[in-house]
Amino acid sequence: MGLIRAAWTDVWSRRKLIRYLVSADLKKKGRDTLFGNVWWVLDPLLQMVVYVVLVSIIFKRSEDDYALFIFAAILPWKWFSSAIGDAITSVSGQDRLIKQVQFPKIVLPVAAILAGITQFAFGMIPLAALLGLLYADRISPTLVLIPVVAAVQLVFTLALGVLAAALNVFFRDIGNLSRHVLRLWFYLSPALYGAAVVDQIGGSQRLIADLIRVNPFYPILNAYRSVIYEGAPPDWTALGGVLGISIVFLLVAVWFFKRVEPTFAKVL
Amino acid sequence: MANQPAGDSTAPAIEVTGLGVRYSLRLTRKNTLRNSLAHLVRRNGGGAGHFWALRDVSFRVVHGESLAVIGPNGAGKSTLLQSLAGIIQPTEGEITIRGRLSSLLTLGAGFDQELSGRENILLAGAFLGIDDGEIQRRLEDIVAFADIGQFIDAAIKTYSSGMRARLGFAIATSVDPDILLLDEVLATGDQVFRAKSKERVLELAKGAKAIVLVTHDMHWVTEFCNRAMLIEHGKVIAEGQPEEIVRLHETRSEEARRSVAALPA
Repeated sequence: MGLIRAAWTDVWSRRKLIRYLVSADLKKKGRDTLFGNVWWVLDPLLQMVVYVVLVSIIFKRSEDDYALFIFAAILPWKWFSSAIGDAITSVSGQDRLIKQVQFPKIVLPVAAILAGITQFAFGMIPLAALLGLLYADRISPTLVLIPVVAAVQLVFTLALGVLAAALNVFFRDIGNLSRHVLRLWFYLSPALYGAAVVDQIGGSQRLIADLIRVNPFYPILNAYRSVIYEGAPPDWTALGGVLGISIVFLLVAVWFFKRVEPTFAKVL
Repeated sequence: MANQPAGDSTAPAIEVTGLGVRYSLRLTRKNTLRNSLAHLVRRNGGGAGHFWALRDVSFRVVHGESLAVIGPNGAGKSTLLQSLAGIIQPTEGEITIRGRLSSLLTLGAGFDQELSGRENILLAGAFLGIDDGEIQRRLEDIVAFADIGQFIDAAIKTYSSGMRARLGFAIATSVDPDILLLDEVLATGDQVFRAKSKERVLELAKGAKAIVLVTHDMHWVTEFCNRAMLIEHGKVIAEGQPEEIVRLHETRSEEARRSVAALPA
């Protein structure tokens, strides 16, 4: 418990540092490419087009208004996967600094993950365009619940990101492994398909269906889809369950991070 | 100004007793899961999986004193500074620091290549834990001392290494530290800046500040430090007057060179 309180003090007392790190991160991401931050709008849209072509034209297994159906899931997933990717290297990538300056290392993954929020916020632009131009009949007041679902996702992302950042200091394989794990995780989450398909899978492949259901992204993506695509409130019980588990997970992850933090300068 | 009580001037600024730092070789080797699994299978047969970078190191530095730490490469000099800066936790022994500490271990460690000089000053200040208002106030001073002129708003990646070093030095010495740790940073930059940084270090030393300096430049040791300490293989060999210690270091490294040369090829 002492370690968790210490971590909170670290983050709070260095909030300015976190802010600088976040804005530095955003600036860099914007400067690197010709289109800059426009990619945050284009990326999910292009990915959506790829999946629409693949699933509804080639596999012929689409749902009504399939573009919106998957976009509601692609947007949060892209946020999650890039935030985790950034968090993993956030500590090990600053090895020189860690060996030269004494500062609370937990600000690194926290800043990496917070920077991702902006990316998600930018994603609201193509979402609004998609709703306004193509699916005006799907616009509903439940859209205002998006930040609530996003908050739950943020807690889970922070927990996993902090844990992965610490582990990657000791095992650099985490970075290589994560790309494949994230890809499999995406396909095992109801992003390209809905809950009905999961039930269908359950008929023949119980194990896979159960795996999809215990995955925290099952309730999270379902909740996004409820508020964006179906215009219905999310399943609060399921979402509350994920939040509870994520908070416990976050506390454990932060405790672990603080526990191994003193060895970072020696190991890196 | 100091965030920790500087205490009365009679209490030493730095007090180190029985300091030992042990590295686990198993961890410092760039680890992959494969290595760890292999170790698990072999039931950790290695045995001597660690070494002491520092052992039984004790010394004090009082206010106004500047201590030079000299020794051959790999003697543990940098590890000592890292421990004093709190970057590395001692495995055994105790370190007491009285006063505000600033370390200049490698210049520009916190710099982000893509950001401008100005942004980097703010970022480095935040990493060093300097109060934001304070760094904002000192921004102009830092820019003036580093002498980078209009480049201050250009990305650091366009800077020469000398400019980068000057900026790093300016940031680390801008905070009026009670205790300053310097690691081989005085040899950077051109003649003019070297003279300027010497001046700044001397100024800091005069202001009743304690300095611990790691260097291979023996002129610095004899000219500007009032005490020196020789370490070899993580152990303190001798401590005392700079001239004496430098002479001892020179004879010992001469001997070491001769004994290496005497080895059959």
